[in-house]
Amino acid sequence: MSKRFVFMYAAAAVFLSGASMLSLFYSSVTVPVASIVQIIFERGIGLDLGLTASESEGRIIWDIRLPRVMLAMCVGASLALAGAAFQGLLRNPLADPYTIGVSSGASLGAVIVIFFQLSLAGLGAFTLPLAAIASGFATLLIVFGLVQLTSRSLAIETVILAGIIISSFIGAIISLIISLGDQDAMTQIIYWLYGSVGMRGWGYVQLLAPFMVVGAVILFVHYRELNAMALGEEAAEHIGVNVKRGKVFILIGASLLTGAAVAVSGTIGFVGLVIPHLVRILTGPNHRHVLPLSFIVGGGFLVLADLAARTIIAPEELPIGVLTALIGAPVFALLLIRKRFGKGRAF
Amino acid sequence: MIELKNVTGGYPGVPVIDAVNLTIRQGEFFALLGPNGSGKTTLFKLITGTLSADEGEIFLDGQALSSLSKLEKARKVAVLSQETHVSFDFTVEEIVALGRYAFQTGIMKSLSQEDRRVIEEVMALTEVAQYRDKPFQTISGGEKQRVLLAKALAQQPSIFLLDEPTNHLDIKHAFHILDLLKKWQRQQGTTVFAILHDLNVASLYADRAALMKDGRIAEVGDVSMLKKEPLLQDVYDVKVKAQAHPDVAKPQLLMAPREEKTNRSDDFHAGAAVHTEKGLIHITFDKPLRTIADGVIGAGIQWLEHFCNFHVPKHYDPADPAEDMKTWLAHRGIPQENALGMVTAVDLADAVFQTKTISGVEVMVMVTAGTENAVDITYEGRDRPVRQTGTINLMVFLNRSLSDGALVSAAMSAAEGKTKAVIDCAVTDRFSGTSATGTSTDSVVIGASQTGEKMTDAGSGTAAGHAIGRAVYEAVCEAVHRSYKREDAEQK
Repeated sequence: MSKRFVFMYAAAAVFLSGASMLSLFYSSVTVPVASIVQIIFERGIGLDLGLTASESEGRIIWDIRLPRVMLAMCVGASLALAGAAFQGLLRNPLADPYTIGVSSGASLGAVIVIFFQLSLAGLGAFTLPLAAIASGFATLLIVFGLVQLTSRSLAIETVILAGIIISSFIGAIISLIISLGDQDAMTQIIYWLYGSVGMRGWGYVQLLAPFMVVGAVILFVHYRELNAMALGEEAAEHIGVNVKRGKVFILIGASLLTGAAVAVSGTIGFVGLVIPHLVRILTGPNHRHVLPLSFIVGGGFLVLADLAARTIIAPEELPIGVLTALIGAPVFALLLIRKRFGKGRAF
Repeated sequence: MIELKNVTGGYPGVPVIDAVNLTIRQGEFFALLGPNGSGKTTLFKLITGTLSADEGEIFLDGQALSSLSKLEKARKVAVLSQETHVSFDFTVEEIVALGRYAFQTGIMKSLSQEDRRVIEEVMALTEVAQYRDKPFQTISGGEKQRVLLAKALAQQPSIFLLDEPTNHLDIKHAFHILDLLKKWQRQQGTTVFAILHDLNVASLYADRAALMKDGRIAEVGDVSMLKKEPLLQDVYDVKVKAQAHPDVAKPQLLMAPREEKTNRSDDFHAGAAVHTEKGLIHITFDKPLRTIADGVIGAGIQWLEHFCNFHVPKHYDPADPAEDMKTWLAHRGIPQENALGMVTAVDLADAVFQTKTISGVEVMVMVTAGTENAVDITYEGRDRPVRQTGTINLMVFLNRSLSDGALVSAAMSAAEGKTKAVIDCAVTDRFSGTSATGTSTDSVVIGASQTGEKMTDAGSGTAAGHAIGRAVYEAVCEAVHRSYKREDAEQK
């Protein structure tokens, strides 16, 4: 690996840990950095650094702020990675994790739970994310089914079209449910759809983590297939890629990440679209680096966005999805301008 | 080696390819030809494995295609198609490296030393190494195709499948790509199977070819089969003429537009005009004539409109007569591309013009003759070639349609008439003292209007041959007498 990439990974790691520390530190109650470090090490890996940290500080950091930061990190990382994979697979820079309808499916599951006030026995508050994940997967299967019926070879164009058809259909059902509900349910549903990583606790992080790990591993091992897909499906086939199998795996991996992220946080936009572009501007299009760097940078980005969302009009909170666009769009525009006048690379 | 055994296949419900048997031999360049819709691309996709055969089997180097995994196939077969759109901003080197996909093993699947060596080698061969860090999207079409060729070569294939690889390229880049391929094929003994659109390119590069029509192979064989004009006309439904390439021993094809029968004026005469000016006899026709000639310019078999006989001094011996001639033509505003040019030291006032109808064939003749350097072509005692100006220049025009072969026999008929005249006028070779057969620097042009039925012979046994020989004989006799007269006058 060249020095350039070593530097980029180091910079991405510094960005992620810096954003996390800043987010843990900066809030209505100030906890010293030393105490934060002490709490994380003590509670996390049982290592007492001998620094002082009070019991209440411990609760604030460990039970409230850290899970929130971790959830933001995981959601951001998952969405950015899924976005990078979808863009590579669908050969379309406009693709994002929500392109093929899995997110709409997950949203529908959540909306139904909220609307009917469902609470399955033994699941309690986890009824919603689990229902969302389940319906996200059901949607992926429906999309696959629709594609199989229309195209033997799982053609990319058909995948995109099927995704759009399913998304629109589900979007209509969600709108129908919202319009049928009372004011209360409506507010709740819309607020959920805006997306948030607050007030979720460790349970949600634990729920997301396995999906994230499995999805990420599946995508990382398919980076060469994603690179080859840039040639088009036929040409990829000619250099030895099993295109159909690769597509199925990449779609499943990216859908795992998307479905789980939407289930725990709602539909947070922009991260999955912009972070991969931003990374590509810096590293070039090789998925060997685009995937892991999108993962790291996406995590850091959403941590920062969440920090802004809860501090700008504190004690009120802004919807994080709004913030991601408010921060992301100008940054993206700036990078585009820099590329236009500088020596950066095109998409 | 590629073998197709009774292959039937195509798209669901549409078996485009109908029981095709074909063998492409080890190490040969094989071209698949045929009009659009004849099934070339479908057959190609069956061989690449993009489509699977409904019936029959395809063997690559003896192994059944259906038994090979995608990776095994990619280590054996590379494909280069017309144009590939690459999404995202991959660099040239990254694209070439994709050719090593099938060779990467281990858990990390990163490029090995061997992979890097191959990548460097193919980039050097295809001359793309200098753009290695440039984004693929920003290089020109010709460069892109070379990069994709490098990617394909990086697969170190024993079989190379090409689908119109030069379709969108200009001739410079198309020939560059094909030359590179041919070189690689010769060096590595690779079997090349190519769909080529251009019959002439196929003829130049392929060893063997197949012509497809309606999903079947109409003909397979050495590329010299492209000389079969009726076959090509049947397959393509276009008027095709086969010609020999002037430098390469391969046929080249000339297509003709489907033309309405033109009503060219039968009055051959009215279209002709003779301009004589100082130092030049210039004959023009209102339509190009089919010509065979050996002039300074305009030689060979051509279509020409201007026929020029320039006067030069007796000891004219230029370094480059053709350059001189072009200057003179340009000076007079005569387009050199459509002109025949001859030179003579004979006084142009002695030129003989005759129009005769002999045996029903109208022949126009222009002759200038000088006999100072008359030679007997059969005399063996001459120790150096005689090269002096003072020549018998013959221009023969006739209102007939002559094939290329008839042009040759017409030139022969003209030469026979000339020789007979020289002998009858008692012209002698000064070195041998024997009867001369001509002079050392004679020129001839036969021009035919190409009206009427096409003649395949204009030799001495035909009316046209007789007319040419007779008209030339009379004109040369007259010209020789005039030159004698002038010599006599000058001596007095």
